[in-house]
Amino acid sequence: MSEILIRALWVLGGVLFFLSVYIIANKALREMTERRVAWTRGELEPKILEYVNGKGERLGAALPPLGRADRRVVEDVLLDNGRFLKGNARDRITAACEDLGYVRDRMRQLKSSRWWRRAEAAEKLGTMKSPKAAAELIALMRDEMPEVRMRAARALGQLETRSSVKPLIGTLQDPNRWSALRIADILAGMGPEAADELVESFATLPAKARVAAVDCLGRVKSHRAAGLLIKLLSDPDRDIRARAAHSLGLIGDPNFTPDLQRALKDPAWPVRAMAAKALGKLGRPEAVAPLFDLLRDREWWVRINAAEGLRSMGDSGLAALVNAIDSEDRYARHAAVATLEGAGVLDQYVEKLVSADEKEREAALTLIRKIVAAERTDHLMQAASRHAQEKVREQLSRLLTPPEVKVQVKA
Amino acid sequence: MSHPKILVADDDSTIRRFIVTLLADRGYEIHEAVDGEQAFKVAESVRPDLMLLDLIMPYRDGFDVLYDLKHDPGTSEIPIIIMSVKDREEEIVKGLNMGAEDYVVKPFNSLELVARVRKILERENRRAG
Repeated sequence: MSEILIRALWVLGGVLFFLSVYIIANKALREMTERRVAWTRGELEPKILEYVNGKGERLGAALPPLGRADRRVVEDVLLDNGRFLKGNARDRITAACEDLGYVRDRMRQLKSSRWWRRAEAAEKLGTMKSPKAAAELIALMRDEMPEVRMRAARALGQLETRSSVKPLIGTLQDPNRWSALRIADILAGMGPEAADELVESFATLPAKARVAAVDCLGRVKSHRAAGLLIKLLSDPDRDIRARAAHSLGLIGDPNFTPDLQRALKDPAWPVRAMAAKALGKLGRPEAVAPLFDLLRDREWWVRINAAEGLRSMGDSGLAALVNAIDSEDRYARHAAVATLEGAGVLDQYVEKLVSADEKEREAALTLIRKIVAAERTDHLMQAASRHAQEKVREQLSRLLTPPEVKVQVKA
Repeated sequence: MSHPKILVADDDSTIRRFIVTLLADRGYEIHEAVDGEQAFKVAESVRPDLMLLDLIMPYRDGFDVLYDLKHDPGTSEIPIIIMSVKDREEEIVKGLNMGAEDYVVKPFNSLELVARVRKILERENRRAG
Protein backbone atom coordinates (compact mmCIF):
# COMPACT_ATOMS: atom_id res chain seq x y z
CA MET A 1 0.00 0.00 0.00
CA SER A 2 2.74 2.42 1.05
CA GLU A 3 4.72 1.44 -2.08
CA ILE A 4 1.78 2.41 -4.30
CA LEU A 5 1.51 5.71 -2.44
CA ILE A 6 5.23 6.43 -2.91
CA ARG A 7 4.98 5.64 -6.64
CA ALA A 8 1.95 7.89 -7.00
CA LEU A 9 3.85 10.70 -5.26
CA TRP A 10 6.81 10.17 -7.63
CA VAL A 11 4.53 10.30 -10.64
CA LEU A 12 2.81 13.44 -9.34
CA GLY A 13 6.17 15.05 -8.57
CA GLY A 14 7.42 14.15 -12.04
CA VAL A 15 4.35 15.63 -13.72
CA LEU A 16 4.65 18.84 -11.66
CA PHE A 17 8.36 19.08 -12.48
CA PHE A 18 7.82 18.72 -16.24
CA LEU A 19 4.89 21.10 -16.13
CA SER A 20 7.05 23.73 -14.38
CA VAL A 21 9.86 23.25 -16.88
CA TYR A 22 7.37 23.54 -19.75
CA ILE A 23 5.86 26.77 -18.36
CA ILE A 24 9.28 28.34 -17.69
CA ALA A 25 10.61 27.32 -21.11
CA ASN A 26 7.47 28.59 -22.83
CA LYS A 27 7.68 31.94 -21.02
CA ALA A 28 11.37 32.28 -21.82
CA LEU A 29 10.71 31.47 -25.47
CA ARG A 30 7.90 34.04 -25.65
CA GLU A 31 10.08 36.72 -24.05
CA MET A 32 12.94 35.90 -26.41
CA THR A 33 10.58 36.15 -29.38
CA GLU A 34 9.21 39.47 -28.13
CA ARG A 35 12.74 40.83 -27.67
CA ARG A 36 13.75 39.63 -31.09
CA VAL A 37 10.67 41.26 -32.64
CA ALA A 38 11.40 44.53 -30.78
CA TRP A 39 15.03 44.42 -31.88
CA THR A 40 14.09 43.69 -35.51
CA ARG A 41 11.51 46.45 -35.41
CA GLY A 42 14.10 48.87 -34.04
CA GLU A 43 16.48 47.91 -36.85
CA LEU A 44 14.01 47.96 -39.73
CA GLU A 45 11.55 50.68 -38.73
CA PRO A 46 13.78 53.67 -39.55
CA LYS A 47 14.36 52.31 -43.08
CA ILE A 48 10.62 51.66 -43.52
CA LEU A 49 9.69 55.15 -42.28
CA GLU A 50 12.28 56.75 -44.57
CA TYR A 51 10.66 54.93 -47.48
CA VAL A 52 7.13 55.87 -46.36
CA ASN A 53 8.26 59.51 -46.13
CA GLY A 54 9.36 59.48 -49.77
CA LYS A 55 12.90 58.09 -49.90
CA GLY A 56 13.58 55.57 -52.70
CA GLU A 57 11.33 53.92 -55.25
CA ARG A 58 10.93 50.47 -53.66
CA LEU A 59 11.00 49.43 -50.00
CA GLY A 60 12.37 45.99 -50.91
CA ALA A 61 15.58 47.59 -52.18
CA ALA A 62 16.18 49.34 -48.85
CA LEU A 63 15.72 46.23 -46.68
CA PRO A 64 18.08 43.31 -46.05
CA PRO A 65 16.91 39.78 -47.02
CA LEU A 66 13.98 38.99 -44.75
CA GLY A 67 13.24 35.75 -42.91
CA ARG A 68 9.67 34.68 -42.15
CA ALA A 69 9.59 36.38 -38.72
CA ASP A 70 11.17 39.54 -40.13
CA ARG A 71 8.56 39.69 -42.88
CA ARG A 72 5.83 39.70 -40.22
CA VAL A 73 7.55 42.60 -38.42
CA VAL A 74 7.80 44.65 -41.65
CA GLU A 75 4.12 44.01 -42.38
CA ASP A 76 3.17 45.12 -38.85
CA VAL A 77 5.19 48.34 -39.14
CA LEU A 78 3.64 49.16 -42.51
CA LEU A 79 0.08 48.50 -41.35
CA ASP A 80 0.55 50.26 -37.98
CA ASN A 81 1.58 53.40 -39.86
CA GLY A 82 -1.19 52.92 -42.42
CA ARG A 83 -3.77 53.48 -39.65
CA PHE A 84 -3.13 57.20 -39.33
CA LEU A 85 -1.79 58.24 -42.74
CA LYS A 86 -3.37 59.29 -46.00
CA GLY A 87 -2.13 60.76 -49.26
CA ASN A 88 1.26 59.97 -50.76
CA ALA A 89 2.67 58.23 -47.66
CA ARG A 90 -0.40 55.99 -47.52
CA ASP A 91 -0.07 55.12 -51.22
CA ARG A 92 3.56 54.15 -50.66
CA ILE A 93 2.50 51.75 -47.89
CA THR A 94 0.05 50.08 -50.31
CA ALA A 95 2.77 49.89 -52.99
CA ALA A 96 5.19 48.29 -50.49
CA CYS A 97 2.59 45.72 -49.43
CA GLU A 98 2.08 44.76 -53.07
CA ASP A 99 5.80 44.81 -53.89
CA LEU A 100 6.85 42.69 -50.88
CA GLY A 101 4.14 40.09 -51.54
CA TYR A 102 1.99 40.79 -48.45
CA VAL A 103 -1.13 41.34 -50.57
CA ARG A 104 -0.53 38.06 -52.41
CA ASP A 105 0.07 36.15 -49.13
CA ARG A 106 -3.05 37.49 -47.47
CA MET A 107 -5.14 36.79 -50.57
CA ARG A 108 -3.95 33.19 -50.36
CA GLN A 109 -4.92 33.16 -46.67
CA LEU A 110 -8.49 34.12 -47.65
CA LYS A 111 -8.88 30.51 -48.79
CA SER A 112 -7.84 29.03 -45.43
CA SER A 113 -10.10 26.37 -43.97
CA ARG A 114 -9.97 28.19 -40.60
CA TRP A 115 -12.51 31.00 -40.46
CA TRP A 116 -10.46 33.21 -38.12
CA ARG A 117 -7.55 33.15 -40.58
CA ARG A 118 -9.86 34.23 -43.40
CA ALA A 119 -11.23 37.02 -41.16
CA GLU A 120 -7.71 38.17 -40.22
CA ALA A 121 -6.60 38.15 -43.85
CA ALA A 122 -9.63 40.22 -44.89
CA GLU A 123 -8.91 42.76 -42.18
CA LYS A 124 -5.24 43.07 -43.16
CA LEU A 125 -6.13 43.43 -46.85
CA GLY A 126 -8.47 46.27 -45.94
CA THR A 127 -5.64 48.08 -44.14
CA MET A 128 -3.31 47.45 -47.09
CA LYS A 129 -5.88 49.18 -49.34
CA SER A 130 -4.71 47.34 -52.44
CA PRO A 131 -7.36 47.39 -55.20
CA LYS A 132 -5.86 44.08 -56.35
CA ALA A 133 -7.71 42.38 -53.48
CA ALA A 134 -11.15 43.74 -54.45
CA ALA A 135 -12.37 40.70 -56.42
CA GLU A 136 -11.33 38.22 -53.70
CA LEU A 137 -12.92 40.32 -50.98
CA ILE A 138 -16.15 40.58 -52.97
CA ALA A 139 -16.15 36.77 -53.28
CA LEU A 140 -15.52 36.49 -49.52
CA MET A 141 -18.75 38.35 -48.85
CA ARG A 142 -20.48 35.04 -49.60
CA ASP A 143 -18.50 33.26 -46.83
CA GLU A 144 -20.49 30.98 -44.52
CA MET A 145 -19.23 32.80 -41.36
CA PRO A 146 -20.97 36.12 -40.59
CA GLU A 147 -17.79 37.55 -38.98
CA VAL A 148 -15.75 36.81 -42.12
CA ARG A 149 -18.42 38.37 -44.34
CA MET A 150 -18.52 41.53 -42.23
CA ARG A 151 -14.72 41.89 -42.18
CA ALA A 152 -14.68 41.43 -45.95
CA ALA A 153 -17.30 44.18 -46.27
CA ARG A 154 -15.31 46.51 -43.99
CA ALA A 155 -12.14 45.78 -45.97
CA LEU A 156 -13.95 46.58 -49.23
CA GLY A 157 -15.05 49.87 -47.71
CA GLN A 158 -11.43 50.68 -46.87
CA LEU A 159 -10.33 50.06 -50.47
CA GLU A 160 -12.43 53.08 -51.51
CA THR A 161 -12.66 51.85 -55.09
CA ARG A 162 -15.80 52.30 -57.16
CA SER A 163 -15.89 48.58 -57.90
CA SER A 164 -16.37 47.82 -54.19
CA VAL A 165 -19.39 50.12 -53.77
CA LYS A 166 -21.89 48.07 -55.79
CA PRO A 167 -21.37 44.77 -53.94
CA LEU A 168 -21.73 46.61 -50.64
CA ILE A 169 -24.99 48.19 -51.76
CA GLY A 170 -26.00 44.74 -52.99
CA THR A 171 -25.82 43.43 -49.40
CA LEU A 172 -28.55 45.89 -48.45
CA GLN A 173 -30.90 43.78 -50.59
CA ASP A 174 -30.46 40.90 -48.16
CA PRO A 175 -31.40 42.13 -44.66
CA ASN A 176 -31.48 38.57 -43.27
CA ARG A 177 -27.76 38.09 -43.88
CA TRP A 178 -26.44 41.62 -43.35
CA SER A 179 -26.92 44.39 -40.84
CA ALA A 180 -28.09 47.36 -42.90
CA LEU A 181 -26.82 49.79 -40.25
CA ARG A 182 -23.28 48.37 -40.28
CA ILE A 183 -23.18 48.40 -44.08
CA ALA A 184 -24.47 51.98 -44.10
CA ASP A 185 -21.61 52.84 -41.71
CA ILE A 186 -19.10 51.38 -44.16
CA LEU A 187 -20.69 53.14 -47.13
CA ALA A 188 -20.75 56.47 -45.29
CA GLY A 189 -16.99 56.16 -44.77
CA MET A 190 -16.49 55.75 -48.52
CA GLY A 191 -17.65 59.26 -49.43
CA PRO A 192 -19.43 60.76 -52.43
CA GLU A 193 -18.88 57.80 -54.79
CA ALA A 194 -20.91 55.60 -52.46
CA ALA A 195 -23.60 58.30 -52.37
CA ASP A 196 -23.89 58.39 -56.16
CA GLU A 197 -24.35 54.63 -56.35
CA LEU A 198 -26.84 54.69 -53.48
CA VAL A 199 -28.93 57.34 -55.24
CA GLU A 200 -28.96 55.21 -58.41
CA SER A 201 -29.93 51.98 -56.61
CA PHE A 202 -32.30 53.51 -54.06
CA ALA A 203 -35.54 52.47 -55.75
CA THR A 204 -34.47 48.80 -55.73
CA LEU A 205 -33.72 48.63 -51.98
CA PRO A 206 -36.03 46.97 -49.43
CA ALA A 207 -37.73 49.19 -46.83
CA LYS A 208 -35.28 48.69 -43.93
CA ALA A 209 -32.29 49.22 -46.15
CA ARG A 210 -33.80 52.42 -47.55
CA VAL A 211 -33.86 53.97 -44.07
CA ALA A 212 -30.16 53.09 -43.59
CA ALA A 213 -29.37 54.39 -47.09
CA VAL A 214 -31.06 57.75 -46.42
CA ASP A 215 -29.04 58.05 -43.22
CA CYS A 216 -25.87 57.24 -45.11
CA LEU A 217 -26.61 59.91 -47.76
CA GLY A 218 -26.79 62.56 -45.04
CA ARG A 219 -23.57 61.43 -43.40
CA VAL A 220 -21.70 61.55 -46.70
CA LYS A 221 -23.02 65.15 -47.09
CA SER A 222 -23.31 64.74 -50.82
CA HIS A 223 -25.19 67.57 -52.53
CA ARG A 224 -25.85 65.19 -55.40
CA ALA A 225 -28.25 63.32 -53.10
CA ALA A 226 -30.26 66.49 -52.33
CA GLY A 227 -32.85 65.97 -55.10
CA LEU A 228 -33.67 62.46 -53.91
CA LEU A 229 -33.79 63.50 -50.24
CA ILE A 230 -36.20 66.38 -50.96
CA LYS A 231 -38.42 63.98 -52.92
CA LEU A 232 -38.32 61.55 -49.99
CA LEU A 233 -39.84 64.21 -47.70
CA SER A 234 -43.12 63.15 -49.38
CA ASP A 235 -42.49 59.37 -49.14
CA PRO A 236 -45.41 57.32 -47.79
CA ASP A 237 -43.12 55.84 -45.06
CA ARG A 238 -42.83 58.23 -42.10
CA ASP A 239 -39.42 56.84 -41.08
CA ILE A 240 -38.06 57.61 -44.55
CA ARG A 241 -39.51 61.16 -44.39
CA ALA A 242 -37.96 61.71 -40.93
CA ARG A 243 -34.52 60.41 -41.93
CA ALA A 244 -34.63 62.46 -45.14
CA ALA A 245 -35.26 65.62 -43.10
CA HIS A 246 -32.40 64.70 -40.77
CA SER A 247 -30.06 64.06 -43.72
CA LEU A 248 -30.94 67.37 -45.37
CA GLY A 249 -29.95 69.05 -42.10
CA LEU A 250 -26.62 67.20 -42.13
CA ILE A 251 -25.89 68.34 -45.69
CA GLY A 252 -26.69 71.82 -44.37
CA ASP A 253 -27.59 73.80 -47.50
CA PRO A 254 -29.78 76.83 -46.51
CA ASN A 255 -31.68 76.38 -49.81
CA PHE A 256 -33.43 73.37 -48.24
CA THR A 257 -35.24 75.72 -45.82
CA PRO A 258 -38.60 75.94 -47.70
CA ASP A 259 -38.79 72.13 -48.09
CA LEU A 260 -38.01 71.55 -44.42
CA GLN A 261 -40.49 74.25 -43.36
CA ARG A 262 -43.16 72.27 -45.23
CA ALA A 263 -42.04 69.16 -43.33
CA LEU A 264 -42.78 70.99 -40.06
CA LYS A 265 -46.47 70.52 -40.91
CA ASP A 266 -46.12 66.77 -41.50
CA PRO A 267 -48.83 64.71 -39.71
CA ALA A 268 -46.15 62.36 -38.28
CA TRP A 269 -44.36 63.79 -35.23
CA PRO A 270 -40.92 62.16 -35.93
CA VAL A 271 -40.85 64.05 -39.25
CA ARG A 272 -41.70 67.35 -37.56
CA ALA A 273 -39.06 66.71 -34.89
CA MET A 274 -36.31 65.94 -37.40
CA ALA A 275 -37.27 68.85 -39.65
CA ALA A 276 -37.11 71.22 -36.65
CA LYS A 277 -33.61 70.08 -35.74
CA ALA A 278 -32.48 70.27 -39.38
CA LEU A 279 -33.81 73.81 -39.77
CA GLY A 280 -31.76 74.85 -36.74
CA LYS A 281 -28.64 73.57 -38.54
CA LEU A 282 -29.46 75.58 -41.71
CA GLY A 283 -29.79 78.75 -39.64
CA ARG A 284 -32.08 80.80 -41.95
CA PRO A 285 -33.92 83.64 -40.13
CA GLU A 286 -37.23 82.87 -41.88
CA ALA A 287 -37.33 79.57 -39.96
CA VAL A 288 -37.46 81.32 -36.56
CA ALA A 289 -41.23 82.01 -36.65
CA PRO A 290 -42.31 78.46 -37.67
CA LEU A 291 -39.95 76.95 -35.08
CA PHE A 292 -41.39 79.31 -32.45
CA ASP A 293 -44.90 78.06 -33.34
CA LEU A 294 -43.66 74.47 -33.06
CA LEU A 295 -42.78 75.02 -29.38
CA ARG A 296 -46.53 74.45 -28.80
CA ASP A 297 -46.56 71.09 -30.61
CA ARG A 298 -48.43 68.34 -28.78
CA GLU A 299 -45.38 66.00 -28.86
CA TRP A 300 -42.61 66.74 -26.35
CA TRP A 301 -39.82 65.57 -28.67
CA VAL A 302 -40.97 68.00 -31.36
CA ARG A 303 -41.06 70.84 -28.81
CA ILE A 304 -37.57 70.00 -27.54
CA ASN A 305 -36.17 69.81 -31.09
CA ALA A 306 -37.85 73.10 -32.01
CA ALA A 307 -36.22 74.74 -28.99
CA GLU A 308 -32.90 73.09 -29.86
CA GLY A 309 -33.30 74.31 -33.45
CA LEU A 310 -33.88 77.88 -32.25
CA ARG A 311 -30.84 77.66 -29.99
CA SER A 312 -28.68 76.59 -32.95
CA MET A 313 -29.78 79.65 -34.92
CA GLY A 314 -27.82 82.14 -32.81
CA ASP A 315 -29.10 85.49 -31.51
CA SER A 316 -32.44 85.56 -33.36
CA GLY A 317 -33.26 82.04 -32.18
CA LEU A 318 -32.23 82.78 -28.59
CA ALA A 319 -34.38 85.95 -28.59
CA ALA A 320 -37.33 83.83 -29.73
CA LEU A 321 -36.67 81.38 -26.87
CA VAL A 322 -36.60 84.22 -24.35
CA ASN A 323 -39.94 85.45 -25.75
CA ALA A 324 -41.35 81.93 -25.45
CA ILE A 325 -40.96 82.08 -21.67
CA ASP A 326 -43.99 84.46 -21.71
CA SER A 327 -46.01 82.06 -23.83
CA GLU A 328 -49.49 81.12 -22.63
CA ASP A 329 -48.64 77.55 -23.55
CA ARG A 330 -47.08 75.73 -20.60
CA TYR A 331 -45.19 73.26 -22.84
CA ALA A 332 -43.64 76.06 -24.88
CA ARG A 333 -42.52 77.84 -21.69
CA HIS A 334 -40.92 74.71 -20.30
CA ALA A 335 -39.16 73.75 -23.56
CA ALA A 336 -37.76 77.28 -23.84
CA VAL A 337 -36.46 77.37 -20.25
CA ALA A 338 -34.92 73.89 -20.49
CA THR A 339 -33.07 74.83 -23.68
CA LEU A 340 -31.84 78.17 -22.30
CA GLU A 341 -30.55 76.33 -19.23
CA GLY A 342 -28.84 73.64 -21.30
CA ALA A 343 -27.20 76.20 -23.61
CA GLY A 344 -25.73 78.12 -20.65
CA VAL A 345 -27.73 81.25 -21.58
CA LEU A 346 -29.44 81.33 -18.21
CA ASP A 347 -26.07 81.29 -16.42
CA GLN A 348 -24.91 84.24 -18.52
CA TYR A 349 -27.97 86.23 -17.44
CA VAL A 350 -27.40 85.26 -13.79
CA GLU A 351 -23.90 86.75 -14.04
CA LYS A 352 -25.40 89.98 -15.40
CA LEU A 353 -27.46 90.46 -12.23
CA VAL A 354 -24.45 92.29 -10.74
CA SER A 355 -23.26 93.91 -13.99
CA ALA A 356 -22.07 97.53 -13.88
CA ASP A 357 -24.25 98.18 -16.94
CA GLU A 358 -27.77 99.08 -15.85
CA LYS A 359 -29.35 97.83 -19.11
CA GLU A 360 -27.71 94.44 -18.69
CA ARG A 361 -28.93 94.24 -15.08
CA GLU A 362 -32.46 95.12 -16.17
CA ALA A 363 -32.41 92.50 -18.94
CA ALA A 364 -31.22 89.86 -16.47
CA LEU A 365 -33.89 90.82 -13.91
CA THR A 366 -36.63 90.71 -16.55
CA LEU A 367 -35.58 87.26 -17.79
CA ILE A 368 -35.26 85.77 -14.32
CA ARG A 369 -38.66 87.15 -13.25
CA LYS A 370 -40.16 85.53 -16.35
CA ILE A 371 -38.61 82.18 -15.42
CA VAL A 372 -39.89 82.49 -11.85
CA ALA A 373 -43.35 83.22 -13.24
CA ALA A 374 -43.04 80.18 -15.54
CA GLU A 375 -42.36 78.06 -12.41
CA ARG A 376 -39.15 76.53 -13.74
CA THR A 377 -36.80 77.60 -10.96
CA ASP A 378 -34.70 74.45 -10.22
CA HIS A 379 -31.61 75.79 -11.98
CA LEU A 380 -31.96 79.23 -10.39
CA MET A 381 -32.37 77.68 -6.92
CA GLN A 382 -29.09 75.85 -7.38
CA ALA A 383 -27.36 79.04 -8.51
CA ALA A 384 -28.83 80.87 -5.48
CA SER A 385 -27.16 78.43 -3.11
CA ARG A 386 -23.91 77.70 -4.98
CA HIS A 387 -22.91 80.77 -7.02
CA ALA A 388 -19.39 82.02 -6.26
CA GLN A 389 -20.48 85.66 -5.76
CA GLU A 390 -22.39 86.51 -2.63
CA LYS A 391 -24.19 89.43 -4.31
CA VAL A 392 -25.54 87.12 -7.02
CA ARG A 393 -26.72 84.63 -4.40
CA GLU A 394 -28.50 87.40 -2.48
CA GLN A 395 -30.17 88.82 -5.60
CA LEU A 396 -31.35 85.39 -6.71
CA SER A 397 -32.67 84.49 -3.25
CA ARG A 398 -34.69 87.71 -3.23
CA LEU A 399 -36.10 87.02 -6.70
CA LEU A 400 -36.97 83.44 -5.80
CA THR A 401 -38.69 84.25 -2.48
CA PRO A 402 -42.47 84.50 -2.99
CA PRO A 403 -43.97 87.82 -1.87
CA GLU A 404 -45.52 87.72 1.60
CA VAL A 405 -49.26 87.34 1.61
CA LYS A 406 -50.83 89.99 3.73
CA VAL A 407 -53.78 88.62 5.65
CA GLN A 408 -56.29 91.15 6.88
CA VAL A 409 -57.85 90.14 10.11
CA LYS A 410 -61.30 91.50 10.60
CA ALA A 411 -61.96 92.88 14.01
CA MET B 1 15.97 79.96 -35.81
CA SER B 2 18.58 77.41 -36.97
CA HIS B 3 16.99 74.22 -35.59
CA PRO B 4 13.45 75.00 -34.47
CA LYS B 5 12.31 72.90 -31.52
CA ILE B 6 9.10 70.91 -31.95
CA LEU B 7 7.33 69.05 -29.17
CA VAL B 8 5.31 66.00 -30.25
CA ALA B 9 2.74 65.02 -27.60
CA ASP B 10 0.98 61.77 -28.44
CA ASP B 11 0.44 58.60 -26.41
CA ASP B 12 0.67 56.43 -29.54
CA SER B 13 4.34 55.51 -29.93
CA THR B 14 3.93 54.54 -33.62
CA ILE B 15 2.58 57.99 -34.46
CA ARG B 16 5.30 59.67 -32.39
CA ARG B 17 8.06 57.71 -34.12
CA PHE B 18 6.59 58.50 -37.54
CA ILE B 19 6.39 62.23 -36.86
CA VAL B 20 9.86 62.27 -35.27
CA THR B 21 11.34 60.67 -38.41
CA LEU B 22 9.32 62.94 -40.69
CA LEU B 23 10.38 66.17 -39.01
CA ALA B 24 13.90 65.27 -37.81
CA ASP B 25 14.80 64.52 -41.45
CA ARG B 26 13.87 68.10 -42.24
CA GLY B 27 16.23 69.54 -39.65
CA TYR B 28 13.90 70.13 -36.71
CA GLU B 29 14.91 69.35 -33.12
CA ILE B 30 12.23 67.03 -31.79
CA HIS B 31 11.09 66.50 -28.20
CA GLU B 32 8.49 63.94 -27.18
CA ALA B 33 5.78 63.58 -24.54
CA VAL B 34 3.77 60.42 -23.97
CA ASP B 35 0.82 61.83 -21.99
CA GLY B 36 -0.93 65.07 -21.10
CA GLU B 37 0.93 65.57 -17.84
CA GLN B 38 4.32 65.15 -19.48
CA ALA B 39 3.27 67.34 -22.42
CA PHE B 40 2.70 70.28 -20.09
CA LYS B 41 5.94 69.72 -18.17
CA VAL B 42 8.09 69.34 -21.32
CA ALA B 43 6.46 72.40 -22.89
CA GLU B 44 7.27 74.44 -19.78
CA SER B 45 10.88 73.29 -19.60
CA VAL B 46 11.80 73.11 -23.30
CA ARG B 47 9.69 76.08 -24.53
CA PRO B 48 9.36 74.61 -28.04
CA ASP B 49 8.86 76.78 -31.12
CA LEU B 50 5.86 74.64 -32.04
CA MET B 51 3.85 71.85 -30.46
CA LEU B 52 1.89 69.01 -32.05
CA LEU B 53 -0.76 68.00 -29.54
CA ASP B 54 -2.97 64.91 -29.53
CA LEU B 55 -6.37 65.30 -27.83
CA ILE B 56 -6.92 61.83 -26.42
CA MET B 57 -4.10 61.13 -23.96
CA PRO B 58 -3.80 59.56 -20.51
CA TYR B 59 -3.85 61.63 -17.28
CA ARG B 60 -4.84 64.90 -18.97
CA ASP B 61 -6.56 65.30 -22.32
CA GLY B 62 -5.31 67.63 -25.01
CA PHE B 63 -7.93 70.35 -24.39
CA ASP B 64 -6.84 70.47 -20.76
CA VAL B 65 -3.19 70.83 -21.73
CA LEU B 66 -4.06 73.46 -24.35
CA TYR B 67 -6.04 75.49 -21.80
CA ASP B 68 -3.21 75.45 -19.26
CA LEU B 69 -0.53 76.28 -21.82
CA LYS B 70 -2.53 79.21 -23.18
CA HIS B 71 -3.16 80.57 -19.66
CA ASP B 72 0.48 80.33 -18.56
CA PRO B 73 2.40 83.49 -19.52
CA GLY B 74 5.53 81.39 -20.08
CA THR B 75 3.92 79.09 -22.65
CA SER B 76 0.97 81.06 -24.04
CA GLU B 77 2.93 82.11 -27.14
CA ILE B 78 3.82 78.54 -28.22
CA PRO B 79 1.94 77.83 -31.46
CA ILE B 80 0.02 74.57 -31.15
CA ILE B 81 -1.28 72.27 -33.86
CA ILE B 82 -3.91 69.84 -32.59
CA MET B 83 -3.75 66.39 -34.17
CA SER B 84 -6.74 64.20 -33.46
CA VAL B 85 -9.07 61.52 -34.70
CA LYS B 86 -11.90 63.73 -33.41
CA ASP B 87 -13.24 65.25 -36.59
CA ARG B 88 -16.50 66.83 -35.47
CA GLU B 89 -17.04 70.48 -36.26
CA GLU B 90 -17.62 71.33 -32.57
CA GLU B 91 -14.28 69.84 -31.53
CA ILE B 92 -12.37 71.61 -34.28
CA VAL B 93 -14.02 74.95 -33.48
CA LYS B 94 -13.42 74.41 -29.75
CA GLY B 95 -9.71 73.71 -30.32
CA LEU B 96 -9.23 76.76 -32.52
CA ASN B 97 -11.23 78.98 -30.16
CA MET B 98 -9.05 77.83 -27.28
CA GLY B 99 -6.02 79.17 -29.09
CA ALA B 100 -4.68 76.35 -31.28
CA GLU B 101 -3.07 77.58 -34.50
CA ASP B 102 -4.33 74.71 -36.59
CA TYR B 103 -6.25 71.44 -36.36
CA VAL B 104 -5.15 68.34 -38.27
CA VAL B 105 -7.52 65.38 -38.39
CA LYS B 106 -6.07 61.85 -38.31
CA PRO B 107 -5.56 60.09 -40.67
CA PHE B 108 -3.40 62.92 -41.95
CA ASN B 109 -1.34 63.67 -45.02
CA SER B 110 2.32 63.83 -43.94
CA LEU B 111 3.35 66.33 -46.62
CA GLU B 112 0.49 68.62 -45.63
CA LEU B 113 1.59 68.39 -42.01
CA VAL B 114 5.16 69.38 -42.91
CA ALA B 115 3.82 72.33 -44.93
CA ARG B 116 1.64 73.50 -42.04
CA VAL B 117 4.53 73.22 -39.58
CA ARG B 118 6.86 75.13 -41.91
CA LYS B 119 4.30 77.87 -42.55
CA ILE B 120 3.62 78.47 -38.86
CA LEU B 121 7.33 78.49 -37.98
CA GLU B 122 8.12 80.93 -40.81
CA ARG B 123 5.36 83.26 -39.63
CA GLU B 124 6.60 83.09 -36.03
CA ASN B 125 10.12 83.74 -37.26
CA ARG B 126 8.99 86.84 -39.16
CA ARG B 127 7.03 88.03 -36.14
CA ALA B 128 10.09 87.62 -33.91
CA GLY B 129 11.91 89.84 -36.40
